[in-house]
Amino acid sequence: MQLNTEVRDKTKDKSRFQKISPALAIASIGILGANETLAKDELDRWDFDTAVLLYAEADDRVSAVEPVFSATRAFDNGETLNIKLAYDTLTGASPNGATPSKQKQIFTRPSGKGKSTIASGESPLDDTFKDSRVALALNWTAPINREWEYSTGLYGSKEFDYLSLGGNASIKHYFNQKNSAINFGISFSSDQVEPKGGTPIALAEMAHKSDDDFKDTHKKTREDDSNSKTIQEGMIGLTQVINRQTIMQFNAGFSYTSGYLTDPFKLLSVIGSDKSDSDYGANFQDTNSNNIYLYEARPDSKLRHSFYWQTKYSVSNGDMIDSSYRFMIDDWGINSHTLDFRYRWYFTLNKERDSYLEPHLRYYSQSAADFYQRYIDSDDYQLGDPNFSFASADERLSDMNAVTLGLKYGWRYQEGKEVNIKLEYYSQSHSGKKGIGSLSNQELYPGTKAVMLAIGYSF
Amino acid sequence: MHTIHVTPTENPSDHPPPTLCGSGVNWLGQFQAMASECDVLIEGLSQKDALVAVKLAAIEVWRIEYKYSRYRSDNIMASINNSQGKTIEVDIETSALLNFSEQCYQLSAGLFDISSGVLRKIWHFDGSDNIPSQTDIQSTLKSIGWSKVQWSSPTLCLKHKMELDLGGIGKEYAVDKVKQSIDLLAASLPSFAFLINFGGDLACSGTRLNGQNWEVAVESIKKSDSVDAKVNLNNGAIATSGDSQRYLEKDGIRYSHILNPKTGMSVANAPRSISVAANTCMQAGMLSTIAMLQGADAEAFLDAQEVQYWIQRK
Amino acid sequence: MHQKILQIMLIVSFISACSNVGVKPWEKNILARDDMQLIHAPLEAGLDDHIYFSKEASSGGRGFSGGGCGCN
Repeated sequence: MQLNTEVRDKTKDKSRFQKISPALAIASIGILGANETLAKDELDRWDFDTAVLLYAEADDRVSAVEPVFSATRAFDNGETLNIKLAYDTLTGASPNGATPSKQKQIFTRPSGKGKSTIASGESPLDDTFKDSRVALALNWTAPINREWEYSTGLYGSKEFDYLSLGGNASIKHYFNQKNSAINFGISFSSDQVEPKGGTPIALAEMAHKSDDDFKDTHKKTREDDSNSKTIQEGMIGLTQVINRQTIMQFNAGFSYTSGYLTDPFKLLSVIGSDKSDSDYGANFQDTNSNNIYLYEARPDSKLRHSFYWQTKYSVSNGDMIDSSYRFMIDDWGINSHTLDFRYRWYFTLNKERDSYLEPHLRYYSQSAADFYQRYIDSDDYQLGDPNFSFASADERLSDMNAVTLGLKYGWRYQEGKEVNIKLEYYSQSHSGKKGIGSLSNQELYPGTKAVMLAIGYSF
Repeated sequence: MHTIHVTPTENPSDHPPPTLCGSGVNWLGQFQAMASECDVLIEGLSQKDALVAVKLAAIEVWRIEYKYSRYRSDNIMASINNSQGKTIEVDIETSALLNFSEQCYQLSAGLFDISSGVLRKIWHFDGSDNIPSQTDIQSTLKSIGWSKVQWSSPTLCLKHKMELDLGGIGKEYAVDKVKQSIDLLAASLPSFAFLINFGGDLACSGTRLNGQNWEVAVESIKKSDSVDAKVNLNNGAIATSGDSQRYLEKDGIRYSHILNPKTGMSVANAPRSISVAANTCMQAGMLSTIAMLQGADAEAFLDAQEVQYWIQRK
Repeated sequence: MHQKILQIMLIVSFISACSNVGVKPWEKNILARDDMQLIHAPLEAGLDDHIYFSKEASSGGRGFSGGGCGCN
């Protein structure tokens, strides 16, 4: 007879075996002795990142110190909060836009109080901008569901004469098994500048302290006590995993700024351009034999488009390559190319691959703004009735090439803790129209050189 | 997917590092240990916390694996098995495991015996027909039997040529220890749910976050079937004693790799696989092991235990 | 306006080309490394952006310009 195992007399069988399971349960629970408690207090759940940047330009120009502090907290459902605090203090002086001269030059401070004297052949610098700034940014990112995520942020920064407030929001969609992500973002910010002495009227002549009616003439060059501008930005970004070692990012964006975009501290020199005149190539002067300097004037709006492409690649030995290209074009006539390349080389100091050396190379070039000119020809100035609406001698708007060479060293001495130090050399060269007549003996485009040291600690 | 960094001290057997994949609050941590794929499923933790839990699990399992492996020459098992009749003192953890083994020996009427490992020296399950001779079996039986072991915590004295093998409870012990560690971790974290699965030995923290049960598939040994049974787990553990396709066959009789420590012989009519659900993985594992040793009476034995079980015979 | 449409079209054509490129979820271990994140050193990136914003006529591209200051 074949026994069907399904049909059994369970009651009969039960008596054959003792019920040992409860005893086993007790025995097995007893074996689990006390374990070390793994406390994880609130502070453990935050990630902190700090850094300080020291920046110094050659020839006693600008110096800056900027410490920053960032705290990130990840929450249970995948949300992230980031708080970032930055403080920076600038000292030194930067070019005020006027050309050097073989004569000494005296510039009225933008506030109207005081003046600065520039020696013969010296590059005219102005230190009015030196200031301290505090900035705070808050950012919140949270998933909507498995494929959608949103992010929003608020920003504020304050200097003595400058206030900036802004916010941004973006939404991100993951697809293609999270190999791809598309991001749509917008941002809006409103800035207000309140320079001491108010903002100058566009292309007004700088009043000279030595004049008897200085107070009146100076006041006439001033318009508003404060001026503002708004910036609206939009961006589409695509993140794409290419293969196991490669990921790319493509961004296309626009930025529209409108309002007061002029630099209230910058001037242009008017240079005699009449070849037949005795002042050819010299500073053009008014009836009081004072050099004529005009306050600069920029358009009240700027629309810019950018395209950005970044590639990150993990080399087979674990080293990392980070490279990017950015193209920017705006309606001021500026277009620029930025190429950035980093190679992170890992090596072992104490523990496996806990240190790295990261050389960095950045190349930047831009074309000048349409209204950029190093100085104004007196023929164009037409004795107070300029045949142009906008002009600026700000070297930052000129034809420019810049190279950054840097080396960073980092040491990850513990899980989640790293110290790093970076030294970089930045060199900028400008070009534009040459000096005429005696002005050709002056160095109109000396360029800028700076050294940057950054120390960071994350824990 | 994130690879979790582990130091050589944390990973003494040099397994590949654990990995963590998932998103939001749902994570799967995976690592290798004890010749199995170990999975840790977590619901309700951020990536950072899930990483901590998975790393904790991996390190603990690897610690137990290294400490109780019979293949090492530098751990407590090596000290015990090379003690050559001398008395040795064992640590608290080993003490507890030996106590448990002793209790299981008594509760199973001698069928579970951690001194029976030496039978592997004469039984080689290579699918051939080389079953050991009775002479060999009788000779080996002289070195088997917990009653011959002098054990009084914390001192142990094994007779010469005897060996202890904790392989029969190692994995289930690891499951229970890891569950306990994660439970302790949970005390300082927001509520989350988890399930551990070390190659068929599982434990869970309770129901999932949405109140539903974890669905565990008990795989059929037959390749043709997709899933044999689906089990709803909302607490406790499941352990599986399995068929490892190891057997000997002679004269038409199949000798399974389940060996009776009292007779030294292969257990006749042992099921191909037994899964048992119980409060702890060690309890479940012990029940499934003892049930296996009952051979044809496995079902009857498990019925008497009043636990949930699944048996596959063919 | 035309430039904006061209930009959007470029992105869209990238997206459709990318729909099958990628790796399986369990192959993302290298990309999950901290140093393989697109912005792996955010503070450093922020400091660099600030310097270049105040010395050059371009800004942003990688993300939003990130807030204003009186330096440009």
